[in-house]
Amino acid sequence: MKFRSTRVSQSELDMTPMISVLFQLILLFMIINWFKQSEADERRTLPRDQLASPALVHRKHSVQLNFGYRRDPDGTILDQQPSFFFGNEQVTLDQVRPRLRMQAQYYETIGTDLDDVTVEIRADAEIPGGMVQELIQMCQEPEIAFQRFALKATEMPAGL
Amino acid sequence: MKFRNRTTVSMIRLNMTPMISIAFLLIICFMYTFDVTEPEGDFEPNMPLVAAGATAVTDAGLPPLKVRLVADDGGELSALQFNGENLGNGEQAFARLNSEVFLAISTQHAIGPDQQKDLEVEIEPDYNLQYRFIVNAIGACSGRLGPNGVPVRYLSKIKFAPRRDQ
Repeated sequence: MKFRSTRVSQSELDMTPMISVLFQLILLFMIINWFKQSEADERRTLPRDQLASPALVHRKHSVQLNFGYRRDPDGTILDQQPSFFFGNEQVTLDQVRPRLRMQAQYYETIGTDLDDVTVEIRADAEIPGGMVQELIQMCQEPEIAFQRFALKATEMPAGL
Repeated sequence: MKFRNRTTVSMIRLNMTPMISIAFLLIICFMYTFDVTEPEGDFEPNMPLVAAGATAVTDAGLPPLKVRLVADDGGELSALQFNGENLGNGEQAFARLNSEVFLAISTQHAIGPDQQKDLEVEIEPDYNLQYRFIVNAIGACSGRLGPNGVPVRYLSKIKFAPRRDQ
């Protein structure tokens, strides 16, 4: 009687592509997350200055205010009345006070000293400077009482 | 004479999958490190509460350095003044402002080094002046870029004068 040999074929699975795809997925999710974290609103045209430097210490508490004009993709101003942009919502300078008050109350509720909160003003280069002054004064009002401000600008390489 | 047939070419099959995967990984890595947005910085001037009719001296008992920015009807800078002296307009005016501030702090340093750090700048812009000129004025008062690109700081106490009406 003839018996066939029961040789088990050892099939090897190549793990390399699988690991590579896994790495790619991780990197993709990291990039997506990186874009989500950036609160910067690229619709504003910030002023440029050589000395504008990134903060040396990471600010733990900050309130970011995007203040500028509604512009089309080419940069043409669509509305002459500057607004604050909170996501897709727009409010004017007169309407922003309750929001600032809410922010201040939030930090007080969580026990953060308002002296440790920086108001980051990302204002359009072309808005009237008096409006930025008005905004700062509003932030300093007793019922809001923010004290620290950072005026955002785009770093301009030397010689330009 | 007998020749052996030695010219059999063995076909080596190269697995391209890991190579392509690594190429993709590198592309994604470079994409991740590439700065999509323009580098942003900021000015963090010390802005004390300013009320109309506030005292015209600093903590050190010195009068603040006064920078006045005059706007034309279109919001462009028409004149830049430092302690009442007209410095003109345009880029050169800010360069001159930078030199004047440096001169002022150097003089102050010679008189009283301790008081120099308490020196303040008060910026008084017209209401309709475009914000970029205010930032440029703050930049010119803050310092300058050194020869190796490292900023040399002049003053950090920068405040706004009471707002001028429209």
